[in-house]
Amino acid sequence: MTSRRDFLRVMGGTGTGLVLGLCLEPRVRAGEVAKTEFHPNVFLALRRDGTVRLTVPKTEMGQGVRTALPLVLAEEMDLDWARIEVVNAQPGPDFKSMQTGGSTSVSSTWLPLRRAGATAREMLKAAAAAQWKVGLEQCRTGNGFVLGPAGQKVGYGDLAEDAAKQPVPKDPPLKKAADYRLVGKPTLRFDGKAIVTGKAIFGLDVRRPGQRYAALLRCPVPGGQPRTWDAAKAMAVRGVQAVVQVPSGLAVVASSTWAAFKGRDALAATTSWDEGAAKDFSTAGLEARMRTALTGPAEEARKEGDPEQALEAASRRIEADYSFPYQAHATVEPMNAVVQLGSESAELWTGTQSPNHAQEQAAEALGFKPEQLKLNVALLGGGFGRRLGTDFSTEAAQVAKAAGGGPIQVVWDREDEFRHDLYHPATLHRLQAGLDAKGALSAWTHRVAGPAILRSWLSGQKSPAQASVETNGAADNPYAIPAMRVDFAEVEVPTPLGWWRGIEIVPNVFARECFLDEIAHAQGRDPLQVRLEFLGDRGLVKFGQDEADLRRLKKVLQVAAEKAGWGRKLPAGHGLGLACHAYDGRSYAAQVAEVSVVKGRLKVHKITCAVDCGPVVNPAGLQAQVEGGIVFGLSALFTQITWEKGRTVQTGYLDFPLLRLADTPVIETHVVVGSDTPTGIGEPPVPLPIPAVLNALFAATGKRIRTLPLLPESLA
Amino acid sequence: MTTHQLNVNGRNHSVDVDADTPLLWVLRDTLGLTGTKFGCGQGVCGACTVHLGGKAVKACQTSLQEAAGHAITTVEGLSKDGSHPVQKAWLAEDVAQCGYCQPGMIMSAAALLHHKPHPTDYDIDAAFADHVCRCGTYPRVRSAVKRAAGGAK
Ligand code: FES
Ligand code: FES
Repeated sequence: MTSRRDFLRVMGGTGTGLVLGLCLEPRVRAGEVAKTEFHPNVFLALRRDGTVRLTVPKTEMGQGVRTALPLVLAEEMDLDWARIEVVNAQPGPDFKSMQTGGSTSVSSTWLPLRRAGATAREMLKAAAAAQWKVGLEQCRTGNGFVLGPAGQKVGYGDLAEDAAKQPVPKDPPLKKAADYRLVGKPTLRFDGKAIVTGKAIFGLDVRRPGQRYAALLRCPVPGGQPRTWDAAKAMAVRGVQAVVQVPSGLAVVASSTWAAFKGRDALAATTSWDEGAAKDFSTAGLEARMRTALTGPAEEARKEGDPEQALEAASRRIEADYSFPYQAHATVEPMNAVVQLGSESAELWTGTQSPNHAQEQAAEALGFKPEQLKLNVALLGGGFGRRLGTDFSTEAAQVAKAAGGGPIQVVWDREDEFRHDLYHPATLHRLQAGLDAKGALSAWTHRVAGPAILRSWLSGQKSPAQASVETNGAADNPYAIPAMRVDFAEVEVPTPLGWWRGIEIVPNVFARECFLDEIAHAQGRDPLQVRLEFLGDRGLVKFGQDEADLRRLKKVLQVAAEKAGWGRKLPAGHGLGLACHAYDGRSYAAQVAEVSVVKGRLKVHKITCAVDCGPVVNPAGLQAQVEGGIVFGLSALFTQITWEKGRTVQTGYLDFPLLRLADTPVIETHVVVGSDTPTGIGEPPVPLPIPAVLNALFAATGKRIRTLPLLPESLA
Repeated sequence: MTTHQLNVNGRNHSVDVDADTPLLWVLRDTLGLTGTKFGCGQGVCGACTVHLGGKAVKACQTSLQEAAGHAITTVEGLSKDGSHPVQKAWLAEDVAQCGYCQPGMIMSAAALLHHKPHPTDYDIDAAFADHVCRCGTYPRVRSAVKRAAGGAK
């Protein structure tokens, strides 16, 4: 851990007000060496007019970080909430590890931001105390002012210069939760007005003087390359100015997006392809290989006792296979980036979750050093992990380099999105359980067979963490089982893969929580009672790198069940189902779904969710994240990407039936606060709707669905 | 090559682009009105929704020819300052997450309430059948429409 001395420094010189630089402590994983140098990556600047600018290395993508982080600061610093401005950091020497993902934005900044706010507050008080010649303990703060014992009152802005000269206090006192006036109260997001008036500028809305537009003709098979083409056909389209080749295909550069699209269509008709290594890839072929891998060699992620022997000795054995398909991110804003190239420098505008990588790779494509490329992070029209990738920004740099001239915006269309995503891959799961003579669970095995997302992310390298990453959600099975094995059998694929909201936890928890339901029903027992019993009274339990507090998991399970009226008499044809999970051992969630089948169609009436992610900074933001996470998770019950001859069958939203408003259940959120540190909420709700709904479907109809997506014929 | 006359948010523009250009790209690239979003270009996500003669239409499926001669309203023209009841309801319900799909949703909501000041749940379902929100703001969209229908609070 970074020492306290190195965590925070005064950065400002005279005339700049009070500027504090702080160094966010990255979550140090086993085997990594903590940095000891001081590299501040959050800046807090109190200006002389009393306004505060907070520069954070986190990207806003709808999850509300640009509201939650300043709230934490404003609370400790006793600031006027209306006077904080939040800006996105630009990558550079100050911001070396910007990344937004894994539901960590609030948890990783909570303590540093509070300490920084408290430090600034104490320095302001010290400056006022010196002016008034009173003791520090006689001064108080409130809403942007320091208040003195004789009714003195001075605004923070007027104290900024003096405060910067005060010594940095060692251990500034942090507020008690009972004294919070902002944290824990619902706060509307700060940029809502720009959004409802159409003024918010997303990446695709960036307009630079003299800007041109480019569309890419890509091989429908990922990795394929054009063999022959006739650029004249594209050039004949009005507005088209150039056709250039880049590694991802042929770029048609034009005076408008529409002209670029039309030019690209004209070019497509003249182009032949070398489809490359993926040309025979198909879902059917992959399924056959995954099936073989269910019984072949695998890498162990967790083992306790002797599961084979325990299965052998069991008085009853249950076995089932579960299957989850490829998924696409399908952000509503397609990928895009603007690059403006000069002779010694360049500028890039894009919506990215990985600003540092985007900058480095685009600079490299231009033959520049990172510091020669200025990156402007635009608003993201959805991230969900897709914009952790840098393929689209690097591609825009390549286009700018090949085409030359002023700023060029590369625009993907919907088909590009479906055909060239960084996909979440398919997996096949085999689960086996043994029950002893008394009906207790004596053995459990879970084999996950499928592609390794982590390997694809590491450009084909195998990480030592591969098996544990790919079995996340399976290997941290929280139930007490004396003999257990969870392992991963890798099946390589030629398609790009990436992180998708909920990651491997979605398929792994789907299989685990549905299979547990099967066990409960096989025993003729209540699924809630079975879960509570298997969770036991164990408290803190360690799984690999994570440690989970099972009391917190039990609590959310009980709250969700009670609020949903578990065990109540239901309308005819309705069923209730539940699922729970401890996300990375940090955030706890449980959901109860109520469903029925109406005219052969599944209707999800309601999802009741209980979450425990520690203290809640912004309840309005939390509720939105839970609702959004549930809609995202529930959509994956119906959607899939399939492959034939190396191409995705799906090319648009019509083939990928995301949830619409009419299908969205009533969502009820209940919050349990089981610790004093916030732990993140963007992903924890996502894995649970699928198992909760399928378990409810079984309760309603007796049909056990083990293969996704859920198609109308699965209910017939 | 012909120029086309467009009336957008109460202002007349003459634009010189091909007649088959979808209204969406005229708004975004020619007139610089980027509040109307590109989501699919296939008529199925609703991100590009604008009003044409008071009715909600998809700008990606509306050609310049069809648009010429009608009053076009985009999200930028819905009100001067965000004071349209739908915009106010949207803020009060804190609907937006990433915000990208929201201008289209707001335009559909405004058209729905204009024609049906007191929509039923079924009307709301139908009005948003062609809208995709990947962030999952649907529950709040429903509440915001109901709030706007109940009179701006
Ligand atoms: S962009 Fe027009 S409906 Fe999707
Ligand atoms: S708010 Fe992000 S797509 Fe709707």
